[in-house]
Amino acid sequence: MADPEFERQALEHLDALFNLAVYLARNRSEASDLVQETYLRAFRFSHRFEPGTHLRAWLFQILRNTFLTFYRLREREPVASQDGVPEWETPMFHDAPDQDSGVMDAHTDLERALRRLPEDFRTVLLLAEVEGMPLEEVARVMDCPVGTVKSRIFRAKERLREFLKDYGTR
Amino acid sequence: MTEPWDDLARHLPRHRAPADLRAAIARASVPARPERRWWWAPILSAAATALAMALLWVSVLPRVLPSDPLQRLQRAVLSEHARTLLWGEPKDDVVPAGMPWLAQETGIDLARVFAGDNDLTPVAGEPVYLEGRRGVALHYKDDDEHVVSYIVLPAPGLAVPDGKRVPVGRYRPGLYRAEGFALLVWKQGDFACFLISDMVSADDLDRFKSYFVRIRETTEPYVAQ
Repeated sequence: MADPEFERQALEHLDALFNLAVYLARNRSEASDLVQETYLRAFRFSHRFEPGTHLRAWLFQILRNTFLTFYRLREREPVASQDGVPEWETPMFHDAPDQDSGVMDAHTDLERALRRLPEDFRTVLLLAEVEGMPLEEVARVMDCPVGTVKSRIFRAKERLREFLKDYGTR
Repeated sequence: MTEPWDDLARHLPRHRAPADLRAAIARASVPARPERRWWWAPILSAAATALAMALLWVSVLPRVLPSDPLQRLQRAVLSEHARTLLWGEPKDDVVPAGMPWLAQETGIDLARVFAGDNDLTPVAGEPVYLEGRRGVALHYKDDDEHVVSYIVLPAPGLAVPDGKRVPVGRYRPGLYRAEGFALLVWKQGDFACFLISDMVSADDLDRFKSYFVRIRETTEPYVAQ
């Protein structure tokens, strides 16, 4: 198991990880499971963390890898609703706990548009623009060159602009 | 004025982690202690009686399907467990030798699988088809002849209500009691996992939870390539 100092430092990033998890998993209950699994793995493999490097990026990397590994089913097979429109396009909180209903109601057009982005576009935007991570760290999390990160951010914003036009916001 | 996509940090709501999640993760850093109890024998006959009563009760369950998807899955896995108790045949070569076959049949692979220990012996493993989903069922038996069924089914979007969750070691599965059986339910990625047994008394439940920890820690389902 990890040493207490490592655990303390890792837990400082809990809120940031949870925030990204909500936008990836799309509800708080599953986000909790995803974050808990992330920390279990981080603690189990803490010996692989290189002190002096960025713990936050390492944790985000584990969270994203965990999501991609264990939630691939959803990424591959969006559930079609009765009207044939994939649930991917709509909130997916129909069988989440009651306390999530407030979150669902509070969705803004921007959140809905964000959910329509492919995972790699969504994640780079959230890491760079919401978490304020340097592009080099984002590139490490995404396991791609910095140039690719810049390109994805640009294209993600372009798509957001288009999606928001669909919603009639702009 | 900035456009929303140019200032996401200001326009997107920020989600804070719930307090109980922090506590659950902190608990995760404490290694679970292995438990071993030696005084089960006096309650064996009572448990056997409870099992017989439960099986009788299951056979007269009303056939009305609940609307909640989690309840429907629970009912299905409970029936599958009861079927195993009544008609299941030992196939003790399944774990781990038959895992590739199970993955091929179900589309679910197990990156790691609990292969038994001093308390639990694998007795069978088979593909199941429950509520329109293909899944994997592994059955174990303990020294007191309690059959413990682990069933994993694809269930993207299904959530375990927080109100039903209980701390078990470093995890927080949902605990349900139905028709004389105890069920622990948890999500691993897009899979719903169930552990079912007739271990419902307070002492048995503690032991059942220790079985859960062993299986949860060493079994990892994922979508077969």
